[in-house]
Order: sequence, then C-alpha cells, then structure tokens
Amino acid sequence: MKRARGVTFNHNPLLDKGLPVWRPRFVLLALLGCSIALVGRAAYLQGVNDDFLQAKGASRYARVIDVPATRGRIMDRNGDVLAVSTPVKSVWAIPEDARLQPAQARRLAELLDLDVRELNRKLASEKEFTYLKRQLPPELAERVAALKLPGIHLQQEYRRYYPGGEVTAHVLGFTGVDDHGQEGIELAFDGELVGKPGSRRVIKDRRGHIVEDVESIRLPQEGGDVTLSIDSKIQYLAYSALRDVVKKYKAQAASAVVLDARTGEVLALVNNPVFNPNNRERLTGAQLRNRALTDTYEPGSTMKPFTAAMGLEKGKYRFNTVIDTSAGRMTIGNATISDSHKHGMLTVAEVIQKSSNIGVAKIALSFPPEEMWSFFDKLGFGAPLGLGFPGEAGGRLRPAKTWRPIEQATMSYGHGLSVTVMQMAHAYLAFARDGELIPVSLTKQSGTPVAGRRVFSAQTAREIRAMLEMVVQPGGTAPAAQISGYRVGGKTGTAQKLDGGRYTRRYVASFVGLAPMSDPRLVIAVMVDEPSGKEYYGGQVAGPVFGQIASGALRALGVAPDAPLVPLQVAQQEAPREHM
Amino acid sequence: MKLASALTGLFASRGGGGTAAARLRQPATPAAELDMVLIWAALALLLFGLVMVYSSSIAMAEGSRFTGHQSTYFLVRHSIFLGIGMVAGTLAFQVPMRSWQEAAPWLFIVGVVLLVVVLIPHLGREVNGARRWLPLGIINLQPSELMKLFAALYAADYTVRKLPYMSSFKRGFLPMAAVIIGVGFLLIKEPDFGAFVVITAIAFGILFLGGINVRLFVMLAVVAAVGFVLLITFSEYRRQRILGFMDPWQDAFGKGYQLSHALIAFGRGEWFGVGLGASVEKLFYLPEAHTDFLLAVIAEELGFVGVVTVVVLFALLVQRAFAIGRQAISLERFYSGLVAQGLGLWMGVQSFINMGVNMGLLPTKGLTLPLMSFGGSGIVANCIALAILLRIDWENRQIMRGGRT
Repeated sequence: MKRARGVTFNHNPLLDKGLPVWRPRFVLLALLGCSIALVGRAAYLQGVNDDFLQAKGASRYARVIDVPATRGRIMDRNGDVLAVSTPVKSVWAIPEDARLQPAQARRLAELLDLDVRELNRKLASEKEFTYLKRQLPPELAERVAALKLPGIHLQQEYRRYYPGGEVTAHVLGFTGVDDHGQEGIELAFDGELVGKPGSRRVIKDRRGHIVEDVESIRLPQEGGDVTLSIDSKIQYLAYSALRDVVKKYKAQAASAVVLDARTGEVLALVNNPVFNPNNRERLTGAQLRNRALTDTYEPGSTMKPFTAAMGLEKGKYRFNTVIDTSAGRMTIGNATISDSHKHGMLTVAEVIQKSSNIGVAKIALSFPPEEMWSFFDKLGFGAPLGLGFPGEAGGRLRPAKTWRPIEQATMSYGHGLSVTVMQMAHAYLAFARDGELIPVSLTKQSGTPVAGRRVFSAQTAREIRAMLEMVVQPGGTAPAAQISGYRVGGKTGTAQKLDGGRYTRRYVASFVGLAPMSDPRLVIAVMVDEPSGKEYYGGQVAGPVFGQIASGALRALGVAPDAPLVPLQVAQQEAPREHM
Repeated sequence: MKLASALTGLFASRGGGGTAAARLRQPATPAAELDMVLIWAALALLLFGLVMVYSSSIAMAEGSRFTGHQSTYFLVRHSIFLGIGMVAGTLAFQVPMRSWQEAAPWLFIVGVVLLVVVLIPHLGREVNGARRWLPLGIINLQPSELMKLFAALYAADYTVRKLPYMSSFKRGFLPMAAVIIGVGFLLIKEPDFGAFVVITAIAFGILFLGGINVRLFVMLAVVAAVGFVLLITFSEYRRQRILGFMDPWQDAFGKGYQLSHALIAFGRGEWFGVGLGASVEKLFYLPEAHTDFLLAVIAEELGFVGVVTVVVLFALLVQRAFAIGRQAISLERFYSGLVAQGLGLWMGVQSFINMGVNMGLLPTKGLTLPLMSFGGSGIVANCIALAILLRIDWENRQIMRGGRT
C-alpha cells in the first residue's frame, strides 16, 4: 500500500489494472437508477394510485358517527319549561383495549362511583363494547377524559331534566337512557319531541379518538317543542292540595284533574303517590301510575247529577218534582238499597243536595236501560277519551241488555260501573257548558274553539248547576267545599270499594265541581282513595281539596269574583294558602 | 455509461478535473476547503430528519406510558444524538486517512467483538425479539450500525492491500467472503437482516470497485442470490415479510399491515401532502413511523414533493461521495478513494432499501433511513461517515494545492 500513497506524476500501472474507471461510474449509475425508480414509484403511489390507497385508508379510519339531535322541550301553557334535555356523557369501554393499572382502575371507579370489582368485571368481559356508566354530568366526564385511559371512551348524550320534579311527574312521564319516551307525554308525543340524529364523517386515530372532522353528511334535526295545556301554578296548587290530603287522611292514593270549561284543556293533572322524575331509582309501580287516567273506580254519588239530568231532559221530572224517599229503603227484586238517613219527601234538587240513593234510583227506573245507557255513553263513559295518553283506561259501562233492574238502580248512583277521574271531569263539562260536551286536551289549544256535541239542553244544565250549588250550601253534603269570593257547586261521592265482588268498609271519597257558578270556568274532579279514620265522606275529605284548588286557580286565572268576600269557615282555615 | 460520465463530470468539474495534467493547467484560484454541496445536502437531511422524527413521534410519545407522556421525548433524544454525532464527526474529521487505514483492521475486530457481545444474554438487550442493543448506562449502543462504518473502512483497506490479487479467487475473493460470512452469521443471529444486506453490499461493492474479477463477481452475485433465496425459504419470519410485500392487501391486517399503512400514507399525501403534522397514519396506525417508516410520514405530510426532496438529497450525497472517491483515486490515494465510494455505497444502498421498503418495492426489513430516522447509534455512525468523506475531500484539496497529508 505504501507504494500507492502520495502524489506521483508517473503513470501507475496499477491504476489501469486494479481500479478501472468504469466501475464506480457503473455503480453510481445503478444507484441513480434506483433513485429514479423510487421517484417513479412515488409518482405512481401519490399521483396515480392515490384514490385506491385513500379508499383503503378511509375504510380503516374514516367513520360515520351520529350527531345526536336535541329532544324538544315540553312547556306549560305559559311557556314555562317542564322538561328539557341537557348534555351528558356516557362512559363506554372496549374491554380488549382497556388494560388498566390497578391504580388507574381505582381512580376510574371512584370517579364513576362504581365498585372496583364491578368495574374490573366489566372490563374483563368478552364483549367488544360495554357501557361503564350512562349519563354522567359534563364536569365529571371531563375528569374521566383527563385520565386518558386506553380503551375508555366518552359518548355525547342527552339527559332529560324536569324542573318541576314531582309536581309534573305523572303528566310528563319520562324518557329512557336511549332518549325515547317511556311514559306520559314523553311517550305520547315522542314522535314530535324526538329529533332526527344527523351524521358526520370523521377520522379516528387507532385508539378511537376523533382527530379530524371531514364533512357533515346530514345535519341533526332538532326535536319539536310541545306546549301543554297545563298551567304550572294550578298544577302546583293541585299537587300540594293532594299531598296534604293524603297525609292528613293517611289515604292510599289521590288524583285530581282541573279542566278549563271554555276549551276543554287540562290545566292540572296530579296524582299521589308521586315520584321524582329526575331520580328514578327505587321506583315502585304505585308511584308511577297516573291514576287519573289509567285507574278506574266506582264513582258513587258523583254520578247522580247525570241521572237527574236524564230525568229533567226527558221531561219526566222537573226541578221541583217531589220523590218519596221516606222509607229509607227500597227493595228491587231480591236486593235492597238504602239511604244513609231517612230524608222523607224530597224534590229532585234535594235528592241531589242530600244525595239520596233511593231518589235517583226511582228516576233511573222510570227509564228503559237502553235510554240510560245511551245517555251515559254520550257523556263519554265506558270508553277511553282518546287523549292519546299511554295506558288511558275507558272504565266499564256494560251493554244495556245485560242490565237487571237492581243494577240499573245502583248505576244511577255510581255503582256497578267504573270511570276514571278524567272521564268524570270531562262529563261534568256538559254541566259547565250548558249541555255541550267538548273533548279534553292535554296540549294547549289555539285559535278556533273546538266544536261541541250537545248532550242535553242548556235549561237542564242550568237546573243541575243550581242543584250542584245547593250541595255546598247548608243542608248539602259538602258545605266544606265552599270558598270565599266565588260561588261554587259540585257533587260528593263516597263509594264503598269492591273486593272480590263484595263491598268492604273501605271507601273512595270524591268530589266533582264547577266554579264560579255564575259563568263556570273550571271543572275540578278530586278523588281520594281509602282515606283512613273516621272521616271518609266525599264532602269531608275531597270537598275541601276542591275548594282549595278552585280558590287558588280562580285567582291565578284572574277570574272575577261572583260572591261577596265573606270569611267563611273553610276559607279561614285555608287562608294562608290563598295568596298562592 | 455516457450518461454516468456526464453526470459525474458535471459535479466533478469544480473539483479540478481528473488528472494531474488537468490540475496543472488550472489557474491557481483559492479552492474551497470543503465540499459545500455535500455539507448542505447532509445538513438538510439531518435537520429534515429531526423535524420529521418529531412530527411522526409526537402522538406516539404523548400516548405512551413508556415515554412518560412527553410529546418531545423523541425530539429531545434525537437532538442529543445529533449533538453527539456533530462532536463525533468533528473529532473524526481530525483523524488523517492514514490513521484510519492503520486502525481499520482493529476497528473491524472491535466491531466483531461487539457483535459477539451483543448476542450474550444479559449483556445484549432484546427489543421486539431482536437482540441488537448494548446498554451502556444511559444510552444503548447498536453495534451493527458501527459495523457498517467499520466494514467500509476495512474492506477498502483489504482491497488496497490485495490489489495485485484482484483476479484471484483464492487470494483476492475468498478471505473477504469468509470474513463477511462470519459477520453475517453474527448479524443473522441477532437477527438484523437489514444490516447484513447493507454490510455485504458495502464489502463486496468495494471489492467490485477495487477491480475484482468480473466473472468472479457475477458468480458471487449468483451465490448471494441463491443464499438469500435459501434464507427466505427456510425462515418462516422472513417468508411472511416477503409475502406481505408481494401483495399487502391480501392480508392487510396481518402480514401486510405495516406496508399497507405505509402505502396508504403515500396515497393520502398526493402531490403536496396533507401538511406538516397532519398525518393520520402516524396516529398509532403505522408502526415504527419515526424509524423505519419515516418516509411514509414524509410522503403523507409533504407529499410527492417531500419524497422527491429526500431522494434528490440522497442522490446528491451519493454522487458527491463517488466524486470525492474518484478524485482521491485520480490522486492515487486508493484507500481514501475506495472508502469514499464505499461510504457513498452505504448511504445509497441503505437509503434505497429503506425507501423501497416504504413504497412496497422491496420486502420489509428493519432498516432505518440514514441521517434521518430516529436512532442514536445510526445517527452517530452516519455523522462519522460524513466526517470521513469530508476528511478525504479535504486531504484531496490539500494535495491538489501541493500540500501533503
């Protein structure tokens, strides 16, 4: 090698022999050829075959995701929000990817309020997808996201929130975790409320995070709002009145319905027991039932005004027609019916005022069953009202040809048939509206008044109203239903409950009334199931509830008083509530 | 061949022609001390590499417990390696080629020893089934990267020593073949098939440039080809890689997973790329995005333009290495000339294989992109190689000015 080092100007034979000049040129050319091949290949991949490759790529990380639509709000007639969807996040996991350290699992379980073992069991499952916790508040979800755990993901959802809580629980019902209605208005109007989810194309990294929003395929269609006929103030009045009466009489349950007599709109609909729609853990069936619509009961004496109306309408009886009830008992076939007191000779008006069973039975028996059935049927008994409310009951009104005389007699005072509280309130609309019946509505009515259907004459209606007013006056069964400032009227009901075909010593106390009597604006039906204790008469138990609701509701609606503001006994008792 | 001479001639002209006579004719203008084209090309590759290593590793570093969720984990380390590489290169530049030649056999022996040590359990560190690293306190040394450099230095020395026997099979070819087979055995044990290919290419490339009998060389090429085929046939692992390369879409989620994602990255990049930092493939889809598949990320983020830039920079680098080598040979500094061309061959072959793998032209094997990919030993070895190239060029210029080295 030493001979090769250094500079020499002599020709070295080794140069020609050992290091031929063409070889480096050949190697360099080969390498440059490779470079050209690379450029050519890159041009093919990036300029020619790019569509194919992009499609392959898209199939791996482009995903179409749903953009949830917001469920519409439910509002009361004055625009107060009764149900609204708030954004929440659900935490889900791909168990295969979620390999958590024990400390991580503990931290996550703590945030999700889960047992660590429960969490680990979920993460050990064979499933490809599992929910760890649904509907987490946004701030908690943020903290879960901040943990950056592998395989743990969040999903945007909406949770339904009901500002009214228990007060509107039964009317509104609720939605399930899938944001669809399961009960009440939420179910009945699900079609209007639910939006159409939109969809977007996104790019996700291999861990499932969205890294790029490519395009919107379809915009979400927000759900529509539903405006109910409910008036929040009256609803609350009715709610608190029922709560108090159930507590006071240790009753099993109670329901109340307030209708606007001019439009048929439901201003209030409450039941007790009730539930908190915002926290539905440990829910019982008894709490869930919207009794006013789904439960039927034997209405008892609140049916009597209809029997009397039939008598007046057909001309067989007049307001002052005298009926002999002096025996206090009446035998029909091999059965005997009786009054609680012996009343002697009573006019039709007094029969209603004093609630004589024998009086109305005599009126009823002067008609063929078909005529009586037809009259009750026109009033909406025996079939659902068609409010569109889920589980709405129709009650029972047997076909007329199966009626025996004793049955016809007992039906005249509300036994042997069954109704819902809503049906009862609806039927009383006919008295309030001068004999015309209109359908009831849970949604706010606008513009054109609904066409009514005449059931009996205005004259009959006016006469019955006079009788109903007598009920709350001295000598009637429900003086406790009176209120200060307004003339009211109604009918009490105290029905023995049936158990296995026999009447028991348990009662349903009810009161259905109108107010104000000069120009009826409200129909209020109150039903208290099994008040326990000495007081169980409709006039004692349900009457004051009617008064309490009517008094507050009339003031809330700004209805002009039609009676002097005398401090009545009842009004004095209820004075602290009147400002509500 | 005309094209080659035209290309090399174009670049070589500034160096002062090829022959002593031409050099005498040239006016005595002060020549540049260093080959600026080489320096700029190398610096561009190093810095471009740094940016792309950061871009391709950021998501992976942030998402990994192993890196402590630091997004700059690989950026910081790569920067440190570049710093070490610069220092090592500056030191290497001080060493005369005469000393490199004298040290070459010893360096080669050191390299072989390291390759043996790395195979010893507990001494060598195993990652993903390959025992390639020697833990040295805070850094890991990858002997195979150093071996590429040592192989070039040694093969040049060998060739120069054996110049008179270049046509002899027994005295010229066989000893080198024996050495390479030995080294190859150690590399395949690791396994580091890529390094084996590169070192074989360097060694026999230098032998070829040194004038070994062409018929012998063709025979060698045939033997090598047969050997590779046999290796591939009898190794399930390598056959799978081959199959994945032939049609990555056939088993796109198994054998062809890595390549299919690399190809998708190219396709997504189109002509001008999706923009720096905007790669989707680097988001955990493409394995080894910051090492073996860095070019795929470049292709996706900077498109065809970015890829061509890299190819052209490497072509420039290789061309300069060969030009410097030719210059040295024309100055009758055969060792320096063969080393320069051997280093050029190394850069050229390794970058071509890496890029070819990224584009699906060649079967997948673990080879990084020289000067660019993440990897401490590789970057330092590349920097030293560049320093030696510059040293050869510098010595050439000294001689042309009448100085001595």
